[in-house]
Amino acid sequence: MESTGTSRVTAIALAFMAVIWISPFSWLLLNAFNPMSTGQLEIPRAVGLDNFALAVSGNAGRQFLNSMLIAAGTATLSVIVGISAAYPLSRLRIPGRNAFLWTLVLLRMLPSAGVLVPLYFAAQRSGLLNQLGVIIALTVLNLPFTLLLLKNFFDTVPIELEEAAYVEGASLLQIVTKIVLPMSRAGIAVVWFYSFTGAWNEFLLPLIFARVQDAFPMSVGLYAAFGQQGAINYGFLTAFSIIYAAPAVGVYFLLRRNMNTGFAGVGVKG
Amino acid sequence: MKNQANPWLTSNLFLLGLGLLPAAILIGALLYFTAWAFAFSFTDLALVGRKSVEWNWVGLQNFERLFTRRGFLESLWTTVIFVFFSAIVGQSVLGFLLAAVLRGSQSTIRSVVEVCIMLGWLLPDIVAAFLWSATTSQTGLINQLIVVPLGFPPINFINEYALPIVTIANIWKGTAWSYLLFSAALDSVSREVVEAAKVDGATPFQRIWLVQLPIIRPHIATNMLFITIWTFTYFPLIFAMTGGGPGRQTEVLAVFLYNQSFSRGNLGFGSAISVAMLVIVGLLSLVYLRMLREPK
Repeated sequence: MESTGTSRVTAIALAFMAVIWISPFSWLLLNAFNPMSTGQLEIPRAVGLDNFALAVSGNAGRQFLNSMLIAAGTATLSVIVGISAAYPLSRLRIPGRNAFLWTLVLLRMLPSAGVLVPLYFAAQRSGLLNQLGVIIALTVLNLPFTLLLLKNFFDTVPIELEEAAYVEGASLLQIVTKIVLPMSRAGIAVVWFYSFTGAWNEFLLPLIFARVQDAFPMSVGLYAAFGQQGAINYGFLTAFSIIYAAPAVGVYFLLRRNMNTGFAGVGVKG
Repeated sequence: MKNQANPWLTSNLFLLGLGLLPAAILIGALLYFTAWAFAFSFTDLALVGRKSVEWNWVGLQNFERLFTRRGFLESLWTTVIFVFFSAIVGQSVLGFLLAAVLRGSQSTIRSVVEVCIMLGWLLPDIVAAFLWSATTSQTGLINQLIVVPLGFPPINFINEYALPIVTIANIWKGTAWSYLLFSAALDSVSREVVEAAKVDGATPFQRIWLVQLPIIRPHIATNMLFITIWTFTYFPLIFAMTGGGPGRQTEVLAVFLYNQSFSRGNLGFGSAISVAMLVIVGLLSLVYLRMLREPK
């Protein structure tokens, strides 16, 4: 009896928290679906998708594609480069590899504004002040973390399985593609997802690299739209925000099952 | 892990080396850029003007300025407060409590709460900043729903309580990470251990404090390491919400670094700030890594 009472109190407390947590979204939704939006918190008189139509056409639509290209490109490149290096790192006994990886991760904790200036000079000299440059730069910045996580996931694949496959006559490539990769699928999904959202959200780097409006991703586009003085079109901005937020949310829920398993691997190892 | 015993590795060393190559090149680039950033901290390099071309070596002058001029120490203090309340007190403790409570809850409640806090985490920084500026504005949700109905005049939160507001916004945004990590950690604690403690008469509080917490200690250390460092260098949310203001109330180190480097154009001094931040982050990590190693 007592325990059901407690659990009811807990349930109510949790529900209350969930409502508080989600309440800031009310303003976003109310304005985005209100064609006559004024930026105030009010119940719209009419509901329509006009703002969304505005937010996917013209410049805004191009910014969506730019963001998609940067995020998917960075995530895929990071995972490919990461896998091909993390497997040897996990299996070969290279002296000091753990200390080395941790040092790299620490170096990456340098605020990215710190390495931005040399990165910019290098990109300028090699003609990479464009989308490709952003993708490569973000991959460079991501790589230490990607390597460490992937190596940890590969470490958990039992080596006996690989041994058995070798005895059966499998080549190295077959061992990697048929055993190691499928068994660390959850980990790879997590790493891909991190790189994707990281690049999707990235603001500072594209701000400095993308010189023309055609090359803006959504983060820079949204920030620029903020800054435009005069009448701020809140309806457009809120709809644009929702579209900007949607892919990261969508990818997460697609990968959700994998994500929760994958998280266990982030936790333990040093 | 044993080189000698694994012929599929030893006979393919060339292929494995080839796999390492792209990563090695990119890591080399990263080290090269970092070395540059270090070198800049000993110069008076500027973003524009004469000093952007004819810069000089100035020795330790930039580092002296960290301590002799106003700005750095104040920003450091703001950062410490921000990290302590938003990452350690807010995200970590709240994340752990949620993970502990939700384990025993119905799966519907668990999913709903999980989705709610995940939404904050998944939202891009700029959108979160936009959302919280609107929520705390004079016509925003908090004023319309709580302050005005209680008969008070509307409060301009972002002007009057800037640091608490960005702290809350960051808790709102970041708790999900700690929750997920602790949730995975608690799953790894075997049920038998907890049941045994229950049979021995441990209260729920004792079961968490004396049984589960020590077992998931490595996870706690890892979580602390990541969120402290992330929060320490976190930039977009605060920058987009306040730009460091009003005055310098929310000028954490990352914003201070940006303002010095790119608004004022002192790239040399900015680099010195990032080197100082790296040293602090390095020291913090050593402490946490010790926590991680010791119990084994």
